[in-house]
Amino acid sequence: MAQTSGRNYEADEARWSSLMIAAQGGCEADYRCLLGELSDVITRYLRSRIGSHHFIEDCVQETLIAIHLARHTYDPGRNFRPWLFAIVRHKAIDALRKQKSLQNTATRHQILEEMRSTSENLDNDILSGRLINSLTTPYREAITLTKLIGLSTAEAAEHLAISESAVKVRVHRAMGSLKNMMEADPL
Amino acid sequence: MKNYDDLIDQLATDLTPTPRIPNINAVAAGWLLLSAIYVIVMIHIFGPIRDNALTQLSTQPRFLIETLTGLLAIVLMGYAAFKAAVPGALNARLAKIATGLMALWLLSYVVGLFYPALEPSMLGKRDHCFTETFIYALPPKIAAFLLVRRMYPLNPLRTALTLGLAAGMLPALYMQIACMYSPSHILLFHILPGFLVAFLGLALAASWLRWGPSSAKAQDWAG
Repeated sequence: MAQTSGRNYEADEARWSSLMIAAQGGCEADYRCLLGELSDVITRYLRSRIGSHHFIEDCVQETLIAIHLARHTYDPGRNFRPWLFAIVRHKAIDALRKQKSLQNTATRHQILEEMRSTSENLDNDILSGRLINSLTTPYREAITLTKLIGLSTAEAAEHLAISESAVKVRVHRAMGSLKNMMEADPL
Repeated sequence: MKNYDDLIDQLATDLTPTPRIPNINAVAAGWLLLSAIYVIVMIHIFGPIRDNALTQLSTQPRFLIETLTGLLAIVLMGYAAFKAAVPGALNARLAKIATGLMALWLLSYVVGLFYPALEPSMLGKRDHCFTETFIYALPPKIAAFLLVRRMYPLNPLRTALTLGLAAGMLPALYMQIACMYSPSHILLFHILPGFLVAFLGLALAASWLRWGPSSAKAQDWAG
């Protein structure tokens, strides 16, 4: 099993590298093939680490655009994965930072009601991200409420029974921890 | 799983060949070498270096260590800055060592306020060392900025700051040999203009982020 995984890992690495070299040479077909494969890989990567959220799709789109803009910086002498996942990690953290509170009050209330009644769906969707789950409870709660569910800082503070500034500090530290964990996470 | 075919189609249609950037280590080495030569030549053209500076380097171990620490810090800072402009190329350890060495070098002048490496002296004082340091640092800074513009720094502000530090500290370091030696003078007239160049780099990077071609293209595709 480990050997198969190793072979797949190396085969993917070699294939993506050769597709990118062809793309740098202007080959449209290879580039489409590469971006198609990468969009699946990036989606799986983000879902397994951050969970299933509305912003994952935007994040994948932004990552594909970033790959396109940065394609001339890929050096065939280096591995493809570190180049790719440096972009993915950056875009994921960037997307989380940019997450604003949901404007739709009804949706937020519905989510809050769900939180009060049952946590089953949340466990399945919001807390399905491995890295989000490995955050300490205060950080996880703060980032889940503000960035993943979309509550405002004031609403999250009320829900957690802490001050707004404490929520902001927790979110800031949670983002830092998440970034460090993503960087340390094996590709 | 969402279908990204439309976006992929937009990105791949009429794809043109893209010249790869040169090897990033070679770019960094070339920039450091040419910038160092330029700074040394300019300083020698516009004034003599301190008479006893080379003798002090060979006879005063602490001054030598201080100078070599600064040189190594600038070299590593330059490498780290260029590598940060290519996704996945920068090793976190290199960035930490470069930052640590730079801090150590600058700290040595703060310590020097109380325990100087050399006896403070006005010998070799240059009249316009502040302006000289600032002006000599600008061309390397601009050259580095133009080189990095062709790459894809994931964190442009940090890249600009480290490039600015490397460019600004090159003439600042050589001024310790060319101008008078006194830690307070060094901090105010050699190091400070180096920092100013670094912060000027931040302003350049901020404008690049706002009006740069990459951000405009990304906004077009994102719709």
